[in-house]
Amino acid sequence: MKCDREQLISYLYDDVSADERAAFDRHLRDCADCREELAALRGLRSTLSAWTPPQPALAFEIVDTRAPARTLTETRTVTPMRPARTASWRAWWTPAAGLAAAAVLVLAAASAIAHVELRYGADGFSVRTGWNGSPATTTAAALVAPAAAPDQTKKLEAAYADVERRIRDLETATHNAALPSPVRPVSQITPARGSDAEVLARVRDLLSQSESRQQRELALRIAQVVRDMDAQRTADLSRIQQGLGRIDAMTTADAAAHRELANYVISSTRQQK
Amino acid sequence: MPPDGQTPRGASKPSENVTSLGMASTDEELVARSMGGDHDSFNQLVLRWERPIYALAYRVIGREDDARDVCQETFLRAFRALGGFKGQAKFSSWLYRITLNLCRDWIRRQRRQPIAQAPEGIDLLDLATETTPSESIEDLVARRELSHAVQRAMAALPDEQRTAIILKEYHGLTFQEIADLLDCPLSTVKTRLYQGLTVLRRQLAGAGMGSDSMTGRS
Repeated sequence: MKCDREQLISYLYDDVSADERAAFDRHLRDCADCREELAALRGLRSTLSAWTPPQPALAFEIVDTRAPARTLTETRTVTPMRPARTASWRAWWTPAAGLAAAAVLVLAAASAIAHVELRYGADGFSVRTGWNGSPATTTAAALVAPAAAPDQTKKLEAAYADVERRIRDLETATHNAALPSPVRPVSQITPARGSDAEVLARVRDLLSQSESRQQRELALRIAQVVRDMDAQRTADLSRIQQGLGRIDAMTTADAAAHRELANYVISSTRQQK
Repeated sequence: MPPDGQTPRGASKPSENVTSLGMASTDEELVARSMGGDHDSFNQLVLRWERPIYALAYRVIGREDDARDVCQETFLRAFRALGGFKGQAKFSSWLYRITLNLCRDWIRRQRRQPIAQAPEGIDLLDLATETTPSESIEDLVARRELSHAVQRAMAALPDEQRTAIILKEYHGLTFQEIADLLDCPLSTVKTRLYQGLTVLRRQLAGAGMGSDSMTGRS
């Protein structure tokens, strides 16, 4: 049998019939060149087996995008699912929790502040706690006072003037009572008692107006605090993001250094051997 | 159902899908159901053949991402043309033909060296995931170097020789199947294979990666 490269290749890959195999076996017994070449090619096949392709995550899948009939419009790659539920829950929870906590703190502070009243007016500096006030009165004032403010101012001015006049009358009456004269006109005292009730009503109005004004200011303050906290939170998140970026860069650099070191050690070891 | 011997090398053996009765459906059965509108059956075919098809595309064009695209496009075209599949050839041969045509188009379009150069460095940490308990890190590095050497040697071959070797060596097709795929005579396939193997043998021996060194190492 003559040396036949095609027969050699067929024999190498065992893609021959039984008769062809037997014939080539007989040829190999007599042909040293073919035996040598066959051995070399078998060794080459062993070497070629070292070339393995990558093993990426493929998972191709045909999906029907609900087009009419069975028309394929796209394919998609199925990738391992991330824990989306947990991530989305955290993404939702984090800002909500922060805002809720901030709101609770603001309301707590506001409720505490709301019961303290600081005033500085014509009658001097005064401090009053709301714990002694009547809730019903406060609520009514909060609802009515804003609409009646201009009229109330005029009424208050008149009330002050009236109170001053009454006080002067009382002082005069007291002064007169202290005089040797035993005569005390009753007519000068009785009207004064009726005016006191009126004065108290006026004072209540004044306090109601003050509380209403304080509540408006408090609302403005709360809004300002919320804005400030939100801005602060945004700034904090930005700083955290920057910090994480720096840490990530450092980690990557460390990993690269370790890889280089490991490669160097292995290479040195192999060279020594 | 593809024969086991069809993918003897390269870890690209197709996956098998087993029915509820414990019997794996053949390709022909899945194709028939797919032609009836059963997308799940076609997806079983995809699952069964995506690894071999990807491996073929990767070895021909040498780029992971592009091989992935070719693989996806192969199944997309197969799905669209399923009505025209008459069953004269095996389904796998039909897929191989589509893949080779796409690879040929890719090479013509790119107008570049078909197979990319292997990376210079070897990352041991990446290799560590591939090692087996009985394999030392040195053997692992040697195996990777040998793989890159083979890849470079294959890249230097003419397209027709490289394709013949890939289809025979790594996908286990018969000479007749290769001849049908490449539209050439049987003898031409064998000649291309022999010539290509001879060149590879010479190049690998010149690079110190011949079979003798492998034999001595193992």
